[in-house]
Amino acid sequence: MALAAPARRPADDDSSTPSATPVFAVDGLWKVFGPGADRVPADPELSALSPAELRERTGCTAAVRDVSFDVRKGEVFVVMGLSGSGKSTLVRCLTRLVEPTAGTVAIDGEDVRAMDRTRLRELRRHRAAMVFQHFGLLPHRTVLDNVAYGLQIQGMGRAERRERAAEMVAKVGLKGMEQRRPGQLSGGQRQRVGLARALAVDPEVLLFDEPFSALDPLIRRDMQEEVIRLHREEGRTMVFITHDLQEALRLGDRIALMRDGRIVQLGTPEEIVGSPADDYVREFVRDVPREQVMTVRSAMRPASAEEAGSGPALSPGATVAEAIEAVARAGAPARVMDEGRCVGVVDSDTLLGVVAGVTTASHERGGTAPDGSRPDAGTV
Amino acid sequence: MAALTTTTPRTAAPGVLGHRAARKLAVLAVLAAVLVPLAHLRWAGGTWPEALTVDLSGPLGAAGDWIIDNRDSHPLFLYFFGHVSNAVVVSVRAVYLTLLAAGWAGVTAAAALIAWRAAGPRLAAGTTAAFLVCGLLGMWVPTMQTLALMVVAVLASVVVGALLGLAAGLSDRMDRALRPVLDTMQVLPAFAYLLPVVLVFGIGVPAAVLATVIYAAPPMARLTALGLRGADKEVLEAVDSLGATARQRLLTARVPLARKELLLGVNQTIMMALSMAVIASVIGAGGLGDRVYQALASVDVGAALAAGIPIVLLAVVLDRVTGAAGGSLGQEKRGPRLWLYAAGAAAATAAVALAARLRGRPEWPTGWTVDIAGPVNRAVDWMTAHLYSGVPYIGGTADWAGRFTTWVLDPIRSGLLWLPWWAVLLAVAAAAWLIGTWRTALTAVLAMAAIGVLGVWKPSLDTLSQVLAAVAVTLVLGFATGIAAARSDRFERLLRPVLDVFQTMPQFVYLIPVVALFGVGRAPAAAAAVVYALPAVVRITAQGLRQVDPAALESARSLGATSAQQLRQVQLPLARPALLLAVNQGVVLVLAVVIIGGLVGGGALGYDVVFGLARGDLTTGLVAGAAIVCLGLMLDRVTQPAQRSARKGAGHGTA
Repeated sequence: MALAAPARRPADDDSSTPSATPVFAVDGLWKVFGPGADRVPADPELSALSPAELRERTGCTAAVRDVSFDVRKGEVFVVMGLSGSGKSTLVRCLTRLVEPTAGTVAIDGEDVRAMDRTRLRELRRHRAAMVFQHFGLLPHRTVLDNVAYGLQIQGMGRAERRERAAEMVAKVGLKGMEQRRPGQLSGGQRQRVGLARALAVDPEVLLFDEPFSALDPLIRRDMQEEVIRLHREEGRTMVFITHDLQEALRLGDRIALMRDGRIVQLGTPEEIVGSPADDYVREFVRDVPREQVMTVRSAMRPASAEEAGSGPALSPGATVAEAIEAVARAGAPARVMDEGRCVGVVDSDTLLGVVAGVTTASHERGGTAPDGSRPDAGTV
Repeated sequence: MAALTTTTPRTAAPGVLGHRAARKLAVLAVLAAVLVPLAHLRWAGGTWPEALTVDLSGPLGAAGDWIIDNRDSHPLFLYFFGHVSNAVVVSVRAVYLTLLAAGWAGVTAAAALIAWRAAGPRLAAGTTAAFLVCGLLGMWVPTMQTLALMVVAVLASVVVGALLGLAAGLSDRMDRALRPVLDTMQVLPAFAYLLPVVLVFGIGVPAAVLATVIYAAPPMARLTALGLRGADKEVLEAVDSLGATARQRLLTARVPLARKELLLGVNQTIMMALSMAVIASVIGAGGLGDRVYQALASVDVGAALAAGIPIVLLAVVLDRVTGAAGGSLGQEKRGPRLWLYAAGAAAATAAVALAARLRGRPEWPTGWTVDIAGPVNRAVDWMTAHLYSGVPYIGGTADWAGRFTTWVLDPIRSGLLWLPWWAVLLAVAAAAWLIGTWRTALTAVLAMAAIGVLGVWKPSLDTLSQVLAAVAVTLVLGFATGIAAARSDRFERLLRPVLDVFQTMPQFVYLIPVVALFGVGRAPAAAAAVVYALPAVVRITAQGLRQVDPAALESARSLGATSAQQLRQVQLPLARPALLLAVNQGVVLVLAVVIIGGLVGGGALGYDVVFGLARGDLTTGLVAGAAIVCLGLMLDRVTQPAQRSARKGAGHGTA
């Protein structure tokens, strides 16, 4: 169960300075289904009720409750939760496939909820494309025409859009299948078509709604690799919905964990695993092999003078698993080197502490309170 | 109600329904205890009380007279119905002349090319053969007349149906408004539509075409709406997420996603149109149906058969070709090649037609016909002499018909007529409520009461008695055959092509063989109804039994149930919804043919309609038509299972 993809994850995200406008800025977002849904977010008494009480009192279901987060340019933002936690509704609110009840959604600083139909169509056509759980392909069209569909909607000419679509088909590894129909493809191949269709319109953000849940485990792994590869090559911003913790940890730069419509914790995989915000999250991440998610950064202790001079060198982003191997080979503590400078050491005691989850590492970090202020997860 | 009450316990497992059924019956009993003495006190007697009838002959006659007087002068007729009528006449005439101009060679070639394109070489050969047989039987001109009427009616039905379906598919309110109307139209016998149309348009081609359109458009509308509504939600969401406009969404996604249903709708519309175009010969459609109608009127079975065979061939060819077009959907390449093909086919047809014309043979050569009427009539005469009666041990066919009439039809009819009118209403209410909900029961009782109010209680009960007898026979034979077909693969394989052919034949055609076998009267009408309804009942029963959850069956087998126990305790209870549907379909189909049986001596309501048409006595016909509508409504509602309770019943069965 190798979870981490260490080479991908940036050592730090200094690139996204706080001043840069987030791709999506969501603030105080509510989506309530049912009669008289509007009054629920406005009424402090109603909005404080638990889901069961709310349904009993008003007959309404709050799928998304007061959710706030930013999606930064170039990151993979994962929204994770069990079924019914509101994550699919949340991602649909971003492009108003589901109309939000209250709160704000902004894309590149532009208010999505204030857009008129033309502007909204513009947004859906060019700026955000979605990949669906059950693919959502048109069964009467060939693979090529399915991929070209978004371009056709935009009014692009036949020859041009087909050429573009053929490129995308090749990019997702379906070359030679252009003339097949969705019914003649396997599940994994169909989702590749769905992915190519989303990529074809060259959107600023890709939205994934549990795209791989309907696939076999092995195919799912392939597709995850594919997404990682695409992200590495193009650096496109992605919002990824999943109910699979492993998938979230593999793909996510940051993860928002949802429960009953609320975000209970938002942070990097390491933060979620290393310092769960509450018992729910703790229970959730209990079986995660911590040594593959945690980095030496959270395991190291300050180095003494002689330790700083010798021993195997590790980068701060290396996983604990890698550090264990290095320490075991050398039979001595390993140095954590950042830009040629020794920032700390890890030895078998500290590493064991991380694996056992009883870490007394020098600093607790990153945990965010469930209801606290905007989680500041940029600091790692 | 004898037949219905005996069939109900067999289809409904008593343990499942017991509690609820008892409660419903108790409520009904209390209601009856209060109302019956009151009603009995005021309007005693067996038949519907005079005091409760409304004589419609005055106002209806006046309305009829007004329409006839104003047909040539009132703006409504001049500027609306007049144009409709002219447009129909002109277009039918145009198609007919085109078909004649193409000549037999051209029409056959065109039909074969279309069949080849849609369904492959085998059906093309079959189509060619079918058209040649039509010519050989000396029926080329009537076939072309029927075909011309069909082409116009089908085009109009498809357009009207698709538009209505589009409206119902896109708007929820429209759907709620249209659905009950379409559902009801689906269960009404074809005969009910004839008179109102005749009232407005008079007897002739326009009336025939419009009656056909009214009869054939509902399936198209239903299936279009169904297809549009059944579209995969996620696909539509994906289309939205790409920023499609409403028009793009409809044209590139919703309509293409519904294409299977659309083609099925076209197929059903064509079959219904053929069925009605033949029946509409009664109101001046001409063509093949008219030949059959005239021949039946003079009990000339040979001539009826010579016109009936082309009808059957036309039905089978049309059904197979359109069905195959729907089946091969998705594999074929669309686009410019289709137009290329159409152009090629048109050119080839023109070439063939021209070649035939140059050789001076646009019409079917008279020397090439085979007269089958003579031999067939001789065979029928022989049958009349040898099989009608006095065959040792088994008796003759006429004997059977006579016995069926005296031992089954007569007792049921006199029994129904002997029952006090309120008892009939109570029986209807009880049966409808046991199978369905209080709503269906209420509709059924109101429909039955309306028959009484219309003053046609007696002929309606006569028709009802024939329906009940025919339904009982149909269900016994149908369930037995269906169970056999569900249990034996080989039997089902043998049965399937037979059912396929039988299900595509227009109702009218069934009258021909029964007249040959049993002569005229009520028994042959009932026999035709049984033959017509049987295939549907067999098919639904077999399908329902086969679709029973295999896991439930396997668990029964693992507990050591014998195959009879499996059937009785697992398959039949689980297939209950399908069995109820079979009863419902059986009743609706039987009624349709029993009414048409008025043409071969079935009497009762069907005869009233024919009589009204023949004598120009529209009042009698209209009242009979309204009674047919009520009877159809009542029978459908009585046998309409409540969706929810049926499913619940099945659930109890598994538990």
